[in-house]
Amino acid sequence: MRHSVNRPPTPDAAEDQENVPTLQEIINIKLIESGEKERLMELLRERLTECGWKDEMKTLCRAFIKKKGRNNVTVDELVHVITPKGRASVPDSVKGELLQRIRTFLNSAAL
Amino acid sequence: MSASREDNTSSDAQLSPHFRDLLDSIIVDIASECHRIAKLGLDRNLEDEEEELRLSTQARVRAADPSNSGETNSKYVVDIFGQTHPPVANEIFDCMNCGRSIMAGRFATHLEKCMGKGRKARSKAARSSTAAQNR
Repeated sequence: MRHSVNRPPTPDAAEDQENVPTLQEIINIKLIESGEKERLMELLRERLTECGWKDEMKTLCRAFIKKKGRNNVTVDELVHVITPKGRASVPDSVKGELLQRIRTFLNSAAL
Repeated sequence: MSASREDNTSSDAQLSPHFRDLLDSIIVDIASECHRIAKLGLDRNLEDEEEELRLSTQARVRAADPSNSGETNSKYVVDIFGQTHPPVANEIFDCMNCGRSIMAGRFATHLEKCMGKGRKARSKAARSSTAAQNR
């Protein structure tokens, strides 16, 4: 028997097209395409700076850098250092405002 | 009322990933900025001050140390930055009047002679000042 008989079947191109994007992906695409994601980012940046959150994060970074030595630090390490505290210390009002903005946008985008 | 609140919390769970996305991007930006400042040494103020403080305390100790003044260091005074200066400045440069190589500590003396006593210099200065007076 020829070995070619036992070959695995050629993948069917039609099968791949059944990969439907998830709801989250759709939302994400809508946010990006409309430019709303960019606006939300700027709004969040502004709010986080106003309330001192950004300064807190920079202080954490500087403390870590001082401890480790400024030439032994990678961006990755800094991200790992500030992410848990960063996520936890966002003021509720800021998070609420952003979520409301997203909700409003999605309602108006008729999703 | 409660219906709309339930609505909010369930959609909160849907929307939170997007919020988290935005937040994570901002966190990466901050980390990147701090990393850059650290590597470029732009935030050096704190470390430099500590270093200077350390050096000056060391020099102060050396200066205050009585055993210093007895020996070869008697000619040289140690200042609070730990620097020593010879009693006569020994940098050498060229006199802008006569062009000779002069030692800095001897420059004043040289200038007295260079500008005051030289035959041409003396007579020229005397001539021009008396000429101005006579006018």
